[in-house]
Amino acid sequence: MKNTVVMKGTRSGIILVLDDKISYDELKLDVAEKFRTSAEFLGAAQKAITFQGRRLTEAQKLELVDVIHRHCNLNIVCIMEDDPAMEQAFRQSMERTLIEKEANSGQFFKGSLRSGQVLDVETSIIIIGDVKPGAKVVSKGNIIILGALKGNAYAGADGNTNAFVVALDMQPIQIRIADTIARSPDKPERNHLKETKIAFWLEGNIYIEPLDKDVMNDIRL
Amino acid sequence: MGEVIVITSGKGGVGKTTTTANVGTGLAMLGKKVVLIDTDIGLRNLDVVMGLENRIVYTLVDVVENTCRIKQALIKDKRYPNLYLLPSAQTKDKTAVSPEQMKKLADELRDEFDYILMDCPAGIEQGFKNAIAGADRALIVTTPEVSAVRDADRIIGLLDANDIRDNHLIVNRLRTDMVREGNMLSSEDVVELLGIDLIGVVPDDEQIVIATNTGEPLVGSEAKAGKAYMNICKRVLGEEVPFLDLEETKSFFEKFKAIFKKS
Repeated sequence: MKNTVVMKGTRSGIILVLDDKISYDELKLDVAEKFRTSAEFLGAAQKAITFQGRRLTEAQKLELVDVIHRHCNLNIVCIMEDDPAMEQAFRQSMERTLIEKEANSGQFFKGSLRSGQVLDVETSIIIIGDVKPGAKVVSKGNIIILGALKGNAYAGADGNTNAFVVALDMQPIQIRIADTIARSPDKPERNHLKETKIAFWLEGNIYIEPLDKDVMNDIRL
Repeated sequence: MGEVIVITSGKGGVGKTTTTANVGTGLAMLGKKVVLIDTDIGLRNLDVVMGLENRIVYTLVDVVENTCRIKQALIKDKRYPNLYLLPSAQTKDKTAVSPEQMKKLADELRDEFDYILMDCPAGIEQGFKNAIAGADRALIVTTPEVSAVRDADRIIGLLDANDIRDNHLIVNRLRTDMVREGNMLSSEDVVELLGIDLIGVVPDDEQIVIATNTGEPLVGSEAKAGKAYMNICKRVLGEEVPFLDLEETKSFFEKFKAIFKKS
């Protein structure tokens, strides 16, 4: 295969690097060939496309998109200008919205997590059920367990130290908040009281306390 | 240069993990630098038996996939500073590692440790193949039951086919009273059926259940099974330790009971 058409994937789109030495008609055939052979790999995703390496007229760009549509199942939803400054701005605004979304929204999960099961979510998570020993919940936001936490919980997985873990019965094996890890005591407590507790991060340590009014006032979202 | 020992049985539930924990801890008590590797990916237990479950951050699979360095995944035991555990992953399965990767890992650990103990999963599939890949010798655990002995025989054959011929037998959970009444195979019977050297007999002991549940290996304690495991450790090191024959074990136990009754 000649390297007249090089495909690069980004998070939301495809960058197509085109050769500017060969003729446009030849290029069109190469683009068709490239997408036909990669059709299976690419699947039927929705993508934005950026053309690089060759100056194209608007008509040519549209024609190439048409060629792509005919040879694979991709859905090219827009053509992006090859402009690093603009891309940077796009990315920043996208990440900002994502972070806000993570902190302020949540989802529910009903059922118990058993040994070996991992629940990994981008947002905060409310589990209606137990997290058993050997099971793990990972969230970029907060974790609230309406049941017993007897396994591992990892809140603020992308470094948010304001994240917390709440459980109606708090007996975790390990709790992580941001980059801090706390493990259970080696000797199990004699008289374990079933009460709602919160695990939070403060100055590099993880504290577990009963969930009372004072603690609730200190919660920052 | 460290030695890699695989602890295997074929059948499940005969005491591989308990044996690994106790022999490993015993060797560490005798001053050796030891690492225990749990190769039972997906059904890990050794960390629980050792009481180290709450310390797990990285696992065997992370090491093999190069997401962390070996040093980061090794958990130092809470009792003996020269004893380490490499825990298994709970969320993957046996196919997450290959025998070649296990062999490489074992060879890397040889430089630093005197003994590398591999806790083998039950069965003869991928997990077994992974566990025996780097092994120099094997401890085969069996209970005095026909089914367990049958599986052990198959295992010895498979080890032999993989050029692991320095094999020793541990007869676990022997009940002297039942043997005397002729209701259980004796350790001599098992040795005769399997045709390999005996390295230890561990009596059935309820202390083992307590030790497993509290995460404190029994080896070195005054309990019968604790003594038996310590003897096995000494024999692993090449020491000549006389076997307690069945009657002697029995009379000792009687004495033990008598003391308790008096007080």
